[in-house]
Amino acid sequence: MQAQNTLLNTEYSTDAQTEPIEHRFNPYQDNGGTILGIAGEDFAVLAGDTRQTVGYSIDSRYEPKVHDVGDNLLLSANGFSADGVQLVKVFQNQLKWYHFDNNKEMAVSSAARLIQHMLYRKRMFPYYVATILAGLDEEGKGAIYSFDPVGSYEREQCRAGGAAASLIMPFLDNQVNFKNQMDPESNGTKRRPLKYLSLEEVIQLVRDAFTSATERHIEVGDGLQILIVTKDGVRSEYFPLKKD
Amino acid sequence: MSQQDPSTINGGSAVAMVGKDCVAIASDLRLGQQSMGVSNDFEKIFHYGHVFLGLTGLGTDVLTVSENFRMKTNLYKMAEQREIEPESFANLVSTSLYEKRFGPWFVGPIVAGLNSISSKPFVCGFDYIGCIDYAKDFIVAGTASEQLFGMCESLYEPNLEPDDLFETISQALLNAVDRDALSGWGAVVYVITKDKVVKRYLKTRQD
Amino acid sequence: MFLTRSEYDRGVSTFSPEGRLFQVEYSLEAIKLGSTAIGICTSEGVILGVEKRVTSPLLESDSVEKIMEVEKHVGCAMSGLTADARSLIDHARVTSVQHDLYYHEPIGIETLTQSICDLALRFGEGASGEKRLMSRPFGVALLVAGYDDQKGPQLYHAEPSGTFYRYDAKAIGSGSEGAQAELQNEYHKSLTLKDAELLALKVLKQVMEEKLDNKNAQMASVTKEGGFRIYSEEELAEIIEKLKEKEKEEGSDDEKDKAGEEEGEDVD
Repeated sequence: MQAQNTLLNTEYSTDAQTEPIEHRFNPYQDNGGTILGIAGEDFAVLAGDTRQTVGYSIDSRYEPKVHDVGDNLLLSANGFSADGVQLVKVFQNQLKWYHFDNNKEMAVSSAARLIQHMLYRKRMFPYYVATILAGLDEEGKGAIYSFDPVGSYEREQCRAGGAAASLIMPFLDNQVNFKNQMDPESNGTKRRPLKYLSLEEVIQLVRDAFTSATERHIEVGDGLQILIVTKDGVRSEYFPLKKD
Repeated sequence: MSQQDPSTINGGSAVAMVGKDCVAIASDLRLGQQSMGVSNDFEKIFHYGHVFLGLTGLGTDVLTVSENFRMKTNLYKMAEQREIEPESFANLVSTSLYEKRFGPWFVGPIVAGLNSISSKPFVCGFDYIGCIDYAKDFIVAGTASEQLFGMCESLYEPNLEPDDLFETISQALLNAVDRDALSGWGAVVYVITKDKVVKRYLKTRQD
Repeated sequence: MFLTRSEYDRGVSTFSPEGRLFQVEYSLEAIKLGSTAIGICTSEGVILGVEKRVTSPLLESDSVEKIMEVEKHVGCAMSGLTADARSLIDHARVTSVQHDLYYHEPIGIETLTQSICDLALRFGEGASGEKRLMSRPFGVALLVAGYDDQKGPQLYHAEPSGTFYRYDAKAIGSGSEGAQAELQNEYHKSLTLKDAELLALKVLKQVMEEKLDNKNAQMASVTKEGGFRIYSEEELAEIIEKLKEKEKEEGSDDEKDKAGEEEGEDVD
């Protein structure tokens, strides 16, 4: 093979490189950040921090990644932000065509199934993202759908995705689904009954989750963008997070 | 797999918290071989007098290191004619781990206790080669450390009474290990106050 | 039309100087040779009824299929070159199954009809470079009956020209002129599904050359609850029997009957 002597002896060096040097283009990047969706009885929220990072450097302190894609749907794809942006754009394009073809709004369950196919189509070169979709279902109840990078999906009451998902998710189990909480009267025989949280409670939970994640994860911080979807439409809120 | 990470073979997690004139320390009870559960009574909390040590990491090192500290604290007791204090014990842990800088114990230790003279609560943690992490609030260790950070950071508040501290550390540990496949299978919690130590086993999900 | 035959007949997608596509127009003629098919849309559901030409006593009548299922909630009746309908219905089935796969919901009836019509024009090259699929236009028309949550029960008529319209009631095939006129007389918005069953058979009976029985006709319904369903020969025989009884009643006295009907409606 020709590649055996990659480096030749020069006047500066007598070391001959015998191993071939491998160069490889890495098509992926980790842009950090975290997203979080919670469904209520007649609303759903999808929140994300606004910091964008590459390694230890902060590329932006305000790069919103939760999108109002129309039809009362919220979509965020966290991970490799270029892939996330592309996914959202392709979805919006598909949604437009859905309107042309079907003359109606897309249901959140349909959007979820469509996203599965968009992700699985790239099974061998995936969008490197954790995706969360929020909206209202046919009965008007809040709906959160979460996806893995290749399209496996599930409807849930809440889901955290991205860099600090592992920090936030057990907190959500505990505070939204009341996991490991017992009725104090029952001496540990009865679980605390589930109930829908109010929008105020949910927003407070989201803010607590993100301040906690910001405290312990370097890729999370700067700002918190919360999009809220109700039957009246989509509303947006912003809260600052620590910038360190 | 030919190469594996020694600190995640057996699994397990521990956490310590500071309250008002009290501290708490807790761990899960699982010992596993990769994804297989082997034992559900593998306690990771040890005590040397009134000082408590939580040891996560490689199971064999947990046992060996805990016995080493039993020997060292006994020698300390004979030399000093008193029990070792948490602050001193932390330094003992640190130096002992650093001695093995280039052939380390694969453990994640945490220390908790009340100083017997000042009654000041003390908790701290270490990396596996002995760098001390002093904390005013809480310390986490083990395979569910990320989950524990998330739980503690959001549930913890300063100056909790012993009962509330027990509830907080229990909820933190339980919900954290439920999101970690390598931790769980039971839990044990110690709440340490000036005049008594209460040890409780928690009922947890068994998967 | 046939007087103007010329070389413009040759190319399927060549306009004549008068601006006509002869091959497409001829394909519409092919449908007029087909057996009659009727669709009636009510608020409770849609009824499809077709005439089957049983050309020989040795022919197994149930092997003549002129009503087909597309999906649980959609069915088709056809008239014309029924072999051509195979590929249309195949296309419709693929489209609706694909819609369910991609969107996890039943496809809309209009959307589905549109997709059938998209195929109808594929005898020429597509505007965006689609391949020419067929050598000639289809020689069959479809009555698409279905139910969807958005618009309820619907009936569409799809032609080989690629156009489609929604109808309350529509007849196609050889007897369509007479049948359509009769439907126009008899149709009203408050028709029940049972009324529509009888009406469909009544009209069919009037335009059929042979005597209507449960072997030379076929019927199907689409409702919200039951979806698409082809009636069994027994069910069909029952309805034919009911129709006979009703005709006997009405036939006894025309004048009185008309007055009686109006009164009857008020009571209903």
